[in-house]
Amino acid sequence: MPAPDDAQMVFAARRTLAAAARGLAAYHANACVKCGLCGQSCHVFLAEPQPENLPAAKAGEVIRFYRRYHTLLGKLLPALVGARDLTPQALNQLVEAVYGRCTGCGRCGLHCSIGLDVASVIRAGRQILAAVGKVPDGLQRTVNNQLETGNQMAIPRDEFISTAEWLSEDLQLETGRKDAVIPVDQPNRRVLYLVNPREVKFFPLSLSAAAGVFTAAGESWTLSSKIYDVTNYGFFSGDDAAAGELVRRVVEEAQALGVQEIILGECGHGFRAFRWEGPNWTRQAYPLPVRSVLELLDEYFAAGRIRVDPAKNPERVTLHDPCNLVRWGGVSEPQRRVLGRCCANFAEMHPNRHNNYCCGGGGGMLSMSEFGQRRVASGQLKAEQIRRTGAKIVATPCHNCADQLLEINKHYKLGVEIKTVVELVYGALVWP
Amino acid sequence: MNALRIMIAGSALWAFMLLTFQVLAARGGGRHDFSRPASRPAAGAWYNFTTAMLPWKKESAWLHLAEFGLGIVLHAGVLLTLACVFIMAAAPATGATLLAPLWPLNALSLAAGIALLIRRVRSELLRAISVPDDYLAVSVTCGLLIVALAFSFFGQNPGPPLAYTSLLLIYLPLGKLRHAVFFFVARANYGCRLGHRGVYPPPRSATE
Repeated sequence: MPAPDDAQMVFAARRTLAAAARGLAAYHANACVKCGLCGQSCHVFLAEPQPENLPAAKAGEVIRFYRRYHTLLGKLLPALVGARDLTPQALNQLVEAVYGRCTGCGRCGLHCSIGLDVASVIRAGRQILAAVGKVPDGLQRTVNNQLETGNQMAIPRDEFISTAEWLSEDLQLETGRKDAVIPVDQPNRRVLYLVNPREVKFFPLSLSAAAGVFTAAGESWTLSSKIYDVTNYGFFSGDDAAAGELVRRVVEEAQALGVQEIILGECGHGFRAFRWEGPNWTRQAYPLPVRSVLELLDEYFAAGRIRVDPAKNPERVTLHDPCNLVRWGGVSEPQRRVLGRCCANFAEMHPNRHNNYCCGGGGGMLSMSEFGQRRVASGQLKAEQIRRTGAKIVATPCHNCADQLLEINKHYKLGVEIKTVVELVYGALVWP
Repeated sequence: MNALRIMIAGSALWAFMLLTFQVLAARGGGRHDFSRPASRPAAGAWYNFTTAMLPWKKESAWLHLAEFGLGIVLHAGVLLTLACVFIMAAAPATGATLLAPLWPLNALSLAAGIALLIRRVRSELLRAISVPDDYLAVSVTCGLLIVALAFSFFGQNPGPPLAYTSLLLIYLPLGKLRHAVFFFVARANYGCRLGHRGVYPPPRSATE
């Protein structure tokens, strides 16, 4: 007999599994034929070709539970269909499969012989583990930071405000324009801009580049000192309640400030979480549009609101497509049009767009140090893709990807520079 | 003969009801998506059932041409045989006329099925992720092809194909063979979501 705590854990796990079984995961759990052909589409498997890394095997760890409680043969003859009881031990083993061996990039799903969404099944596994408190510590800490402080890095509000102030001063000095500022908590502006807190803490030039471009375009915008974090680690952990709460706070802040639009900074999963998953977590449509900054930049160019000189970016630039932005988000062309205008020598890596390989840093991997070795190993494919382009600069519209690419760059000795798209636009700006 | 027809009708009803229940119980596709669409879900589903399934678009096909080919041949034989058996249940003479000459395809299909079974047994990767039901599913479909071949060569007695298909239909919604229905459900669901988000169909100008 399991101890009372264990019994509660199993009960919570079964309840979450039942919810997933009523959701789309069940469609896909019933479709897998375990042909094993998905391995060649998975960056983790290609780096470490072990059975455990086959997407079908990872999803299979979740499907076992589904079969045990939600299929007839699983209830009557579990050994025949590989069904497994939900026990504390089985849940512990699931952690490695769904957090440590999969970034949820979804590439295997596109190439699956059946067409099943493996990543949805894996995320159902994460939902189950989040419900029983088995999210890896580093990832859970990041979720807690976001819920408790409003941002994943727990940056105090006054530190954020002072960073915005000194960045504004630097920007004014650099551009010679007094209107080049980073506005904070300004009501009734057109745009509320969300950024990755990494920009505030480690990559402030990315934030000031965005401010420079907004200034050049004459944009009416503001940051919020309370809610400025574009990331959503509840999405990664599988905690839909936390993820929904983070989304709700952003929408409330946007309404409180009276903005007309939310613009999401360069963050792959942040875009997917806010643009596509958020309304379903909160079960209501947004009262205002939500777009990626890439779409806004594209619009600036189309409307002639900014001018650039591609000669200012003379080196060969390639583009890494973040999975959550492109394969799951549908934003693939604006960044290409933008880079095409502001870079003199742009080269695609192959495969690209929705077929691109994950960099290895997705799915919250960067916050789970226990899987760090595998994360870097799984970035080898990306390193080879980059090397083949001969590029000196890798642009990526995602700070999580940028962090992973920085590490890959060092580990595989690529000798490239990693930049966000807005940094390249800013570098090529011709001021009016 | 009438008993066999009743048996196959009952089995078909059982399979239909159970599969319908399973699809409805999952309800994934029926959920309202509150996010503003970027494109049309139907366009995504259409793309997922057409262009996305072309062998040169799927790595599971073009990186594994032998397995892909074997799978196609196996499924072609099984589906055509099943169609003939159903016709035979309704119109025995017509069904028999259609099934008997299928033997070259069924022989190839059987060979493909056996090859896939051997692959599952021999591959360390596949063995590691397989459960008894994975072997059973291929075995019972091979069984259907053997029965169909026997029909073609030994007297064209409709009893064995009808009886075997009845048993197969009882198993269909219980084990791995239910992918026959969930293939369509999963692909439609996935395609609709990617269509809603503007991922599918990808831009025409895109070179991957």
